[in-house]
Amino acid sequence: MILFACRCLKLSCQGKTNWHAVLEQIFQVGVKSLGMTVTAGLFVGAIMALQIDVQLKDFGAEAFLGGLSTSTTLRNVGPVLIAFLLSGKVGAYTSAELGTMEVTEQLNAIRLLGADPVEYIILPRAWAVVISSFLLLIVGLMVTILGGVVFSQFIGVNPLSYIQNIPRIVTGWSLGLSIIKSFIFGLLIAIVSCYKGYKAHGGAVGVGVAVQSCAVTNLILIIFVDFFLSMLSSLLQDVLQVGYF
Amino acid sequence: MNLNYRFRIRETLEQMYLLGVQSVPIVFISLGFVGIMMVLELAFHMRLVLKHDALVPAFSAVLMVRELGPVITCLLLTSRIGAGIAAEIGSMKVTEQLDAMKMLSIDPIDYLVIPRLLGSVFAALTLTVISIAVALWGGAFLAVQRLGSSSGEYFNTVFFFVKFPDVIRCLIKAVVFGSLIPLIASFHGFRCGLGSAAVGEAATQSVVRTSLVIIIADFILTYLFYAI
Repeated sequence: MILFACRCLKLSCQGKTNWHAVLEQIFQVGVKSLGMTVTAGLFVGAIMALQIDVQLKDFGAEAFLGGLSTSTTLRNVGPVLIAFLLSGKVGAYTSAELGTMEVTEQLNAIRLLGADPVEYIILPRAWAVVISSFLLLIVGLMVTILGGVVFSQFIGVNPLSYIQNIPRIVTGWSLGLSIIKSFIFGLLIAIVSCYKGYKAHGGAVGVGVAVQSCAVTNLILIIFVDFFLSMLSSLLQDVLQVGYF
Repeated sequence: MNLNYRFRIRETLEQMYLLGVQSVPIVFISLGFVGIMMVLELAFHMRLVLKHDALVPAFSAVLMVRELGPVITCLLLTSRIGAGIAAEIGSMKVTEQLDAMKMLSIDPIDYLVIPRLLGSVFAALTLTVISIAVALWGGAFLAVQRLGSSSGEYFNTVFFFVKFPDVIRCLIKAVVFGSLIPLIASFHGFRCGLGSAAVGEAATQSVVRTSLVIIIADFILTYLFYAI
């Protein structure tokens, strides 16, 4: 899988990406997932606002609700949950499409014509998945903030004070972390789903197996990378002595 | 389901094994990392807000039991088993095995859906319990290693703040999510169109819809349990 990723990277470094095809794929993959991402983001934001409100009441610190729930959602829960959904939608779509092409020997036909299927078929899809997952995650995270604000109305918190609380706790560091996480999750979904689709074999059943193993691998890698990045940011803060600004 | 329903013990046990026991490793690994991650993140926030981290174990354990334990476990189960169920029933429909069953006067819902439903509810319940245990262990590991609290202190705080009703509500959530997965998946399988492309389509659709429905159901259940 790593070799496959290196090969894609090498080809795109040589400037062999067909950006027109990438745009087409972004429309195919990204725009159709927008509604789902927005719905999921709204509910994730609302769930976290509700849950953290209930917990903060136990500790008597409701004043921090806006900042805490937004910060937890942005840094951790939001990217993971939305990336779960995207790996189900975008990843499964890509691996099913590529798997079907491989199984019906369309990729072999391209090889026969003297073209490289990785360059011609897979590279545009991979970049499209990276870009559209990244943008969808950012949109989803923005919508989680909105979901929290809207929901705070229903649990008797003043939305204005909720919003004013956000910049007190959500720092540039947190925002940067969530953007880095979104980008790496996009990269992961793209590599895993393209690889699993490319390696599919054995008829229609093989496509099903490829889709399922793509989804499971994606989820495990997302959780692992999320853990790794959180740990790295925590260690980095200790090393740089930036404190908890 | 007809009234003279016969409980199919063999199919049910087989599905319990396939859906439940075989998902243990992935849940084990993932939720261990989630537990460590939650303690790490909450330590960051607690130091920021309260200037000390004594309440981190309590806060993370409560969040884990009430929210993330059932949701993340069932989202993992969805892509692990939901796609499989939809693809299996869809390909049975495409290859006309469902029609053959009806010819033999076997109700496909009795024969296919009910064992999967029971197996999945069983899997969701047990895996949620396992996942929360693993996540608490992971959290304890990090708290001892990096926050400098002792493990006795950690578990004492956890047991003080996680109340019994929380556990019951967590299990109710697990049952609801666990029954949603095979219902939505087999619905998509039965409605699958003809041709092998339609099977893949059904599997993808079912995973996406199930994940979305689980998140929405989680919101509704949390609202019912804690806000009213």
